[in-house]
Amino acid sequence: MPGPYHYVILGAALFGLGVVGFLTRRNLIVMFLSTELMFQGVVVNLVAFAQMHRHVEGQAFALFLLVVAAVEAGLGLGLVVLLYRRRGTLDAEAWAIMRG
Amino acid sequence: LSDQAAYLLYLLFAAGGVALLLALPRGQAAPTRRLAGLLLGVAAIIGAMVLFGAVDIMAPSAFFYFFGAIALFTAARVVTHPKPVYSAVYFVALVVAVAALVLLQGAEFLAIALIIIYAGAILVTYAFVIMLAQQARVLVYDVRAREPLAAVLVGFVAMAAVAGRIADVNECPVPLDTDSRLVLAANSDTGAAPDNDGQANLAAESSTELGNTVQVGLTLFGPYVVAIQLAGILLLVGLIGAVALVRKRMPEDEVTETVTIGQIGKEVPPF
Repeated sequence: MPGPYHYVILGAALFGLGVVGFLTRRNLIVMFLSTELMFQGVVVNLVAFAQMHRHVEGQAFALFLLVVAAVEAGLGLGLVVLLYRRRGTLDAEAWAIMRG
Repeated sequence: LSDQAAYLLYLLFAAGGVALLLALPRGQAAPTRRLAGLLLGVAAIIGAMVLFGAVDIMAPSAFFYFFGAIALFTAARVVTHPKPVYSAVYFVALVVAVAALVLLQGAEFLAIALIIIYAGAILVTYAFVIMLAQQARVLVYDVRAREPLAAVLVGFVAMAAVAGRIADVNECPVPLDTDSRLVLAANSDTGAAPDNDGQANLAAESSTELGNTVQVGLTLFGPYVVAIQLAGILLLVGLIGAVALVRKRMPEDEVTETVTIGQIGKEVPPF
């Protein structure tokens, strides 16, 4: 059986890929998809820690994380639709004025 | 993890970073560059497998490496694919691979919940928004990445730092089962008093007896019942917020007559 740190390293890799995706991609939908990728890395981590401590509390936390991810997807995609209505494009650079 | 192995791990992360950098869309079509990125990424994944297979004392499980490789590859494709629809499809594959990994850890309920909620509900929402807002042709902001070098540096340095630290976790003294409340609860139900040295065995036994779904349910509706209610409220707030955000205010007298289907998208804007 692979130890917990195999899973933790895999979770870190998934999270890092999500970070890279969020920073590099300019399409708003793909940016939000990258945040979901980061959530997947966190799920892997939580379950690995739950297994390491031999309790299910980590899995319970992962379920709460699913709730947060669902709310985030709903609100985030609502915002994406709103931004698309305003500018007619999904390009994040169209909102570069918000950098200040 | 020894020092040498840690440096090898950093090297593998660097290789993965270069691979991702090469594979990120950069405007002009460059099949050789992308192919090089793909090969280097696959080499990094295989190198990680060999490293962990060689370094680890415990025998490696083939399923972990199989699904882990699938997860990493599909995650890289989610990030690098120029078309959002394909990104979403790769994300579904990623969710299935992660569910398999979670299943390997004995979390059956969470694995099924991941597939149902993520691959089923959330990704369908994404597919709807992609259908609403994405144009059919390939757009410049999809094929040209923003600051790829800096982002890859940030992501992979953070990743390697975390992974390198975490690799020491086996040496850390981990208090196994010091407050396994669920085990205590299960034992108090049956009247068996848990002794300290046998707790790990008891946990293993009770997990096989009760089943994962029952255990998760007992935990969620035992110590975390308030949190469950709050999660429900959070979902409600999210629902109301999403509706309030996207709703269009329309005065009664300005409601136009119905448009025929052929007009939408041509004379009439879709929103």
